[in-house]
Amino acid sequence: MKLYIKEYISYIDDGEIDIKKELKQKYKLDTRRQDRFIYLAVYGGQLLKQKIEIKEDDELYVTSGVGNAEIVQKTNTYMYKENQPLKLFDFINLLGNTTSYYIAKSLGIKGKNIFQISDNFTYTNTLISAYASILNSKKDVIICTIDLVSSPEEITKRVMGVKKSCEVQSSVNYQKLSLSKDGAIGMIEFGLDEETTCKAEDKPFETYTSYVINRALRDKKDLLHVEIFEDKKRTIKVKSFK
Amino acid sequence: MVNILSCEINCAKSLTKRALEDGTEIPYFSLAEKIEQNQDEIYEAIKKVVLKVLPEEREKTALLVGTSLVDWNLVDAINACAYEQKELYSSKKRSIDSYAKDLSCEFGLSSFTMSINTACTSSANALLEAKNLINAGVVEYAIVIGVEIFSPVMSSGFYSMDLLSSSKPQPFGKNRDGLVLGEGVGAILLGKDKSPWELVGGFSNCNSQTITSVSSSGDECVEVMHNALKNCAKLAEDITTLKAHATGSQANDEAEMNAIKKVFKKEPNIITLKQHIGHTIGASGVLEIAYMLQNVKFKNDENIMCNYFGFGGNNISLILRKHR
Repeated sequence: MKLYIKEYISYIDDGEIDIKKELKQKYKLDTRRQDRFIYLAVYGGQLLKQKIEIKEDDELYVTSGVGNAEIVQKTNTYMYKENQPLKLFDFINLLGNTTSYYIAKSLGIKGKNIFQISDNFTYTNTLISAYASILNSKKDVIICTIDLVSSPEEITKRVMGVKKSCEVQSSVNYQKLSLSKDGAIGMIEFGLDEETTCKAEDKPFETYTSYVINRALRDKKDLLHVEIFEDKKRTIKVKSFK
Repeated sequence: MVNILSCEINCAKSLTKRALEDGTEIPYFSLAEKIEQNQDEIYEAIKKVVLKVLPEEREKTALLVGTSLVDWNLVDAINACAYEQKELYSSKKRSIDSYAKDLSCEFGLSSFTMSINTACTSSANALLEAKNLINAGVVEYAIVIGVEIFSPVMSSGFYSMDLLSSSKPQPFGKNRDGLVLGEGVGAILLGKDKSPWELVGGFSNCNSQTITSVSSSGDECVEVMHNALKNCAKLAEDITTLKAHATGSQANDEAEMNAIKKVFKKEPNIITLKQHIGHTIGASGVLEIAYMLQNVKFKNDENIMCNYFGFGGNNISLILRKHR
């Protein structure tokens, strides 16, 4: 399977930028009723929008390794620890596709919009789904990968299944992909998995592969990336058009 | 051509009541065998329906789940370390997709698993994604699961929005007063083998006026239905039966009825199912199609449109065809 990369952005959230404030002041977006996970996802979308035209019928696939743990923690605390009633917009934000709704709204996308999680290779499985979809629709597709470290960090580490000593990071990555080579800055080849006896290193966030691909594009380098999950590996080839 | 090769459901047979966390009782379509909100019981419930639709060529079979279930792996991780009581650290990757991954390992399926979370359209979207995967040659078969188990959190959310009926669901009824939630698990096996039922295709988008509803004009529903017809190279008059989303809520039913009037000059036969099994939220895509194929008689050459409209602006129309 092969797709052309039209544009990309990567953002590691080190806390230096007040993202909510940035969304309101710089991008003039309504941030009411949203939370940190949604802010980060929408912010990444705005960075992509600055670099490339987003079309109304572009397809949008959003994936995450952990999901919005903070909203689950918030509702869990309200309902089961403090015996408080569930708040309306906390309920709405519990739904995975609420995040993809706000991304779509901020980018002006009215096409297909899928929020999905895969236990194994969540980014590459999303890439495969997106490829299969646009093979049929002939549209372009935007893939968003988002991971937010919650507090305490141990929640994120437990869900990711990494060592307790692993340093985890919040990150959002976007790629606009197409079947067409026109205007592409790179190409990505990928497939289903093969057996391996190699062991994976812990990653700072579950959707790290999308970040690694974007970094290769930034550096205008070709890349052979092997992603490992348990006893399976996926090989991804990136060709940068220099 | 991607066909529905088999389907299986475990859904409620009658209307009962369930209690929310504060003790409030709501009408609810409960499974006969009560399933607790824990990983093992949900896994076993899904496994029972998957076992009944397993194809022979398992290694070429993907498994996709559509659900709006709260991810209990997250809740477990939160309970293990966010409050006073701490559990021993465990590092084993878990997510909402772990049900699919574990089943895939247990039955030797393809390692392609995916869990789609787009509220009420989740498993309908999973069906369309699975069809695309088969058409693209990524896999030869796909088992698509729809699962929704009673959740006090989800039910409280609908209750707090004042969307629940106090009595019984009356989809498209004049006196409808809200929806009644339900639980269930359904599985549909898709593949290219011969079958009387084809999943012709459909269209999925996110264009609703607000995050919780479509506009009363139904224009968003019209758009998705028109595009589904276009994608499947069908005309409105080719549709003989419409399985409506029809939740029984005042506003959404009105929007869908308005949309049907705009799309069809002559209304097809309209089926509503939520009075029988409740609104099974993320599971409704698979469950309602499987329920319909098992309980409704269709003639040969019928084209059936199935609508699903959900929170988060997600809308989808699928088209099925009964072959000779």
